[in-house]
Amino acid sequence: MNLLYTFRIAIIGLKTNKSRTVLTILGIVIGITSIILVMSLGRGAQNLILGQVQGIGSKTIAIAPGKQPKSPTDFASLFADSLKERDLESLKQKNNVPTLDKIMPIVFGSESATFENITYRPTIWGATSLFAIIYNVYPTEGENLSEDDVKSYSDVVVIGNKVKEELFNGGEAVGKKIKIKGRNFRVIGVLPQTGQVSFVNFDSAVVMPYTTAQQYIFGIKYFHRIVVQADSEANVEQTVADIKTTLRNNHNITDPDKDDFFVETQADAVKTVSTITSVLTLFLAAVAAISLLVGGVGIMNIMLVSVTERTREIGLRKALGATNGDILKQFLVESVILTTTGGLIGIALGSLLSLLISVILTKTLGQSWPFSVPLSSVLLGVGVSAIIGMIFGIYPARQASIKNPIEALRYE
Amino acid sequence: MALIEIKNLKKRYNDEAAETPALDGVSLEIKEGEFVAIMGPSGSGKSTLLHILGFLDQPSSGVYKFDDKNINSYTDEEAAKVRNQKMGFIFQAFNLLPKTTVLDNVKLPLVYSGVKESEWEAIATKAVEAVGLGHRMYHEPSQLSGGEKQRVAIARALVNNPKVIFADEPTGNLDSKSGGAVMEIIQKLNEEQGRTVILITHETYTAEHAQRIITLRDGQIEKDKQTDHRHKAGEFVK
Ligand SMILES: Nc1ncnc2c1ncn2[C@@H]1O[C@H](COP(=O)(O)OP(=O)(O)OP(=O)(O)O)[C@@H](O)[C@H]1O
Ligand SMILES: [Mg+2]
Repeated sequence: MNLLYTFRIAIIGLKTNKSRTVLTILGIVIGITSIILVMSLGRGAQNLILGQVQGIGSKTIAIAPGKQPKSPTDFASLFADSLKERDLESLKQKNNVPTLDKIMPIVFGSESATFENITYRPTIWGATSLFAIIYNVYPTEGENLSEDDVKSYSDVVVIGNKVKEELFNGGEAVGKKIKIKGRNFRVIGVLPQTGQVSFVNFDSAVVMPYTTAQQYIFGIKYFHRIVVQADSEANVEQTVADIKTTLRNNHNITDPDKDDFFVETQADAVKTVSTITSVLTLFLAAVAAISLLVGGVGIMNIMLVSVTERTREIGLRKALGATNGDILKQFLVESVILTTTGGLIGIALGSLLSLLISVILTKTLGQSWPFSVPLSSVLLGVGVSAIIGMIFGIYPARQASIKNPIEALRYE
Repeated sequence: MALIEIKNLKKRYNDEAAETPALDGVSLEIKEGEFVAIMGPSGSGKSTLLHILGFLDQPSSGVYKFDDKNINSYTDEEAAKVRNQKMGFIFQAFNLLPKTTVLDNVKLPLVYSGVKESEWEAIATKAVEAVGLGHRMYHEPSQLSGGEKQRVAIARALVNNPKVIFADEPTGNLDSKSGGAVMEIIQKLNEEQGRTVILITHETYTAEHAQRIITLRDGQIEKDKQTDHRHKAGEFVK
């Protein structure tokens, strides 16, 4: 018996009992839909986060004060003031860290800003002119901070797009003065809308010289971060090692376990994020797999019912010359058609839902959530559903094939 | 040489409480081209015998040679092939596939035959026309009368051009008119095409279409004799 014909008989068999066929498929549809959804959303989240991390380039290294938190309950507050101006100067010296290309200290915090009688609470960033290069955001109106602004503790700020909207109602901002902590700051630049870049949202930021921020806003003499760029990706590791040596020298640390700072590279961050999303995706996929298993058992159940119902047909086919193999093939193909149809519908439905969710997330998060259905998930969906049809179809098909033709014909 | 040869054939069903088996030592020979009727009271073992002869069931003991080859030496696949190529079955209950057209029902044995699919249509059409149902080609069984259904079953039995036709009470569910039409076709298959026919019936007038009548009682042959006044094809009285 040829496969095409087997295929057609199976279709006829399935058509004869449409509502049952549809209900049987449903279990598989749900399973495959969730697999596609999970994999697609997982990929979306990963792309989004990786995009963020990669936004500031893989040459970037962040130095944070305190002990590296090993778990969420580890507070990094110990030694929170360990990074000081002296460290910055040491790191800048060519003989300490020869592969260092750029270095910028950061202080940050939330403060109220007022213009006339409007108040808004942006994030205050104390940085240098380098922030524009490192984060790849340049003012579209006015100008950037300058080295002189940093040296002379200037009262100037570059503001984010949202800050401009809120405080100036969309009107001209450059040249105006806004008040933060009772001090007047002249707006010299406005940043374009950026959305989230590397976990920083410049839209609601006010950027000023770090010297000014330390002195007049936060009243501190240390840094929250020092951001370093190596001269090339290949030198990142060397740079990290040199930074550690320099800082340990400065802080008189001999035992690396007693470090009062920690260094994070973008590569580390990428790895961490990928691991987290992969584990999450895997977990959700396991949940989907369970629903597929349930769907598979449903298929087996229905196929067994179908075999019993069609006992006479099986007997007749055998009397007319069908071998056990022919009958086995017929029922196996039927169950594989059931599950792969379910799989294809699931893939379509899953992709559609995932697209829908990406549109909604893009709207609500205010930033583009990348929609993608990984090819691997489509292949997995088709493969898994076909295999489920085989596995759960083989037992009923075998039951059908070993029926004695006479008992089958006599069956009432 | 006999087409069918059985010696001391016995069949005992496993779950049978009764001490007498369904077949209790049956021996007979049927030559190619013969038309044999099997009669006997209900439960005498007629269907059991026919099923064994038609490779649908196995005897418990005894010898059965079909085409001079012992039934035990056929594998399952070979037995299926013999059923498909050399045997045709007609059942009392028609056994057509529901929701399947007359043409597709008749095609069924071709599916398992190795005949190329491109030829199925023509062969099946010819068989349907041969039983006078050319105008019912695309009807489904539920749209046919009993007599028409049995003629479809005959067309299906014929489609692979078998040597032997086994018929288990083919007119049992039919009135005398459509029963007569069915018997006419069966007798012509024997007389004009030389096919061996083995037919079970309760009715003497149906049995008298055959050349030979075997009567069973309690799983044994009671009588085996040539028909005295054989009906001509088309002569069906009730
Ligand atoms: N599958 C079975 N299991 C157990 N006993 C069976 C089975 N099939 C038939 N029998 C028994 O075997 C005996 C012969 O049955 P069979 O069907 O051959 O009779 P029959 O002559 O065809 O009767 P009828 O004219 O009513 O069709 C009966 O006693 C019947 O009950
Ligand atoms: Mg019977």
